[in-house]
Amino acid sequence: MASESILRVDAIEKAFGGIQAVDRCSLTVLPRSITGLIGPNGAGKSTLFNIIAGLYRPDGGEIWFDGTRIDGLPPYEIVHLGLTKTWQIPHELRNLTVLENLVLAAKGNSGEHLLNLFFRPREVKRDEKQWRARAREVLKLTQLDGLANEHARTLSGGQKKLLELSRALMSDPTLVLLDEPVAGVNPALTGSLMDLIEKLRQSGRTFFLIEHDMNVVMNRCDWVIVMHQGRRIAEGRPEKVKTDPVVIESYLGG
Amino acid sequence: MARRKLPWSQIIAFVAIASIVLAGVLAGVLAGASPQGILTNVGFYASIAIIFAILALGFNLQWGYTGLFNAGIAGFYLIGAYTMAIAITAPSPPIVIGGIPVYPGHLGGYSLPLAIGAILAMLAAGGAAAIIALPALRLRADYLAIATLAFASILQIFANNLQSVTGGAIGITGIPKPIAFLSADAPFLNAITIVGIGSAILLAFLLLLQFMAESPWGRVLRAVREDEEATMALGKNTFNYKLQAFALGGALMGLAGALFAVTLGYVSPSSSFAPAVTFSVWVMVIVGGSGNNRGVIVGAFLIYGLEWLSVQLKDYVPIALAAGLPTIRLLLIVTGFLAGIAVVLVVLLSRYWPTTPGGQVLRKIRGRGWARTVVIGAFALYGLGWAFVFLEQYKPGAIGDTIFYTRLMLIGVLLIILIIYRPEGILREHKRVLR
Repeated sequence: MASESILRVDAIEKAFGGIQAVDRCSLTVLPRSITGLIGPNGAGKSTLFNIIAGLYRPDGGEIWFDGTRIDGLPPYEIVHLGLTKTWQIPHELRNLTVLENLVLAAKGNSGEHLLNLFFRPREVKRDEKQWRARAREVLKLTQLDGLANEHARTLSGGQKKLLELSRALMSDPTLVLLDEPVAGVNPALTGSLMDLIEKLRQSGRTFFLIEHDMNVVMNRCDWVIVMHQGRRIAEGRPEKVKTDPVVIESYLGG
Repeated sequence: MARRKLPWSQIIAFVAIASIVLAGVLAGVLAGASPQGILTNVGFYASIAIIFAILALGFNLQWGYTGLFNAGIAGFYLIGAYTMAIAITAPSPPIVIGGIPVYPGHLGGYSLPLAIGAILAMLAAGGAAAIIALPALRLRADYLAIATLAFASILQIFANNLQSVTGGAIGITGIPKPIAFLSADAPFLNAITIVGIGSAILLAFLLLLQFMAESPWGRVLRAVREDEEATMALGKNTFNYKLQAFALGGALMGLAGALFAVTLGYVSPSSSFAPAVTFSVWVMVIVGGSGNNRGVIVGAFLIYGLEWLSVQLKDYVPIALAAGLPTIRLLLIVTGFLAGIAVVLVVLLSRYWPTTPGGQVLRKIRGRGWARTVVIGAFALYGLGWAFVFLEQYKPGAIGDTIFYTRLMLIGVLLIILIIYRPEGILREHKRVLR
């Protein structure tokens, strides 16, 4: 099973001062799955995501993505391999417009290289036009198209979450780490968002998401991993995890 | 129906600059200067303002667009000026008179053409910026400020003490002008050519920077400014972008230094490269509107204009004050009397007849921040007026001697007012609406 996984986290450790945030955590994510990561606050879920995305350097352990070892790589190289993450607390680029936020998330926009501006103006123009069109398509999917030319700072909390997801989709990733994608999003939109994720999964993408909304986790994920105190304490199909006494004690409650 | 709003901020900015120039001209006329002399003087203002505008463009690329705080602008400016001086002057050996070394000489004197000197100045300053940035940009933002501040101070000390290269405290003199005029009008003609060349360079770089900063490349710079970590997670090698912006900004500052060397005709490790230059450029960019290339040019012309004007007026303000003393005193007494009556009336009205218009006025003043500020400001101005009158009466020289220094205070007050009421600057950064 390990050989066919798209993401393999192997004995990852990370401590902040005296706090062992992630403690020899190992897990795998299967390709074309929607895998949920749950656990109480402070379990180390977001830290693990940040380590996978290259934003934190782990103290020990290995991470393999699609046959490449990625621990120690800078975040931008990991993005180029096809792994994107969204932030739990939205990191929108405040004084840029929503559309600019999206176009920035595109990979290989030739105009982002200084010399191309002068030596390949036609290519720059073509790329920019193409990515703007693509950004507008993505905004339609996430229902932000009406706000395309507004400053990102003017969005509401839920809209910022949608912006996070939209940006992640712009880079055409094979694996998307979603850190609480529907927290603060209204129920109706949550449903259509998860439908969208389901549709994207069918087109070959993998989603690995942290979420506290048990409706989403239990109905939409096909595999659930439970973390507690920096370790993986359980995993399995949602219905199995739901009844696991260890999980009930540490997270779900009676 | 869809009436276009007038660009008030631009109108105000240009009127302010025009009044500065006009006041300067007026001071010249009062002093009985020849028209040519006045024009030369205005030309000097324009050429130094252009130099500051180029410095401000460089700092805007670093800070306004990319969020990199450079506290050593003066250092890159110095490198540009000295590189230019060394490149384009004729060789100048040490001078010894009667066994006493009078001038230590300086490096080179390569007699290169001005254009090549300017390119070398840009390369040297840009290269220095890249070298400083390599270690410092990997650290947090505060350390970049500390590193550049130290760098600028060290350079000034080097310029003073590395005599065989820089000519020591005397510096490098005899820097050639773009065109060697021989007539009696030479200062005037020089001023005109330098303003012409300077404006052309400023315009060219404004267009170039506008093209670069508004491109996808510039968009990544702005993203780094907003949130570097998020930009990295979007797949951008943010270090490369910071390095490029910092080095290019440094190169622009070097170009400003090169222009300065030619404008003045000499360079010395004097106040021209003191930290105050750095602070001035900060003020220009903040006042003009960081993230807006045209705005920072306006800021440079405005702030340097105030400095220049204070020099022009420093002889006239004391005279005018002395002549106008009785009038000012009378004005203060009358306005004080009238304002006192008004205040008493308003207070009485609001106390006993709160529903009358007078009562409402007071409530409005209490309720609105800006109205309160205006009232406090009026009181402060009134007090200041009396302070001036008493000083002029009992210590006649005091104001005349300090007016030259009060300008810095005025610039400071202007900055505070602007930061409170318009923190984004006179010409704010505009929203980029993508089609």
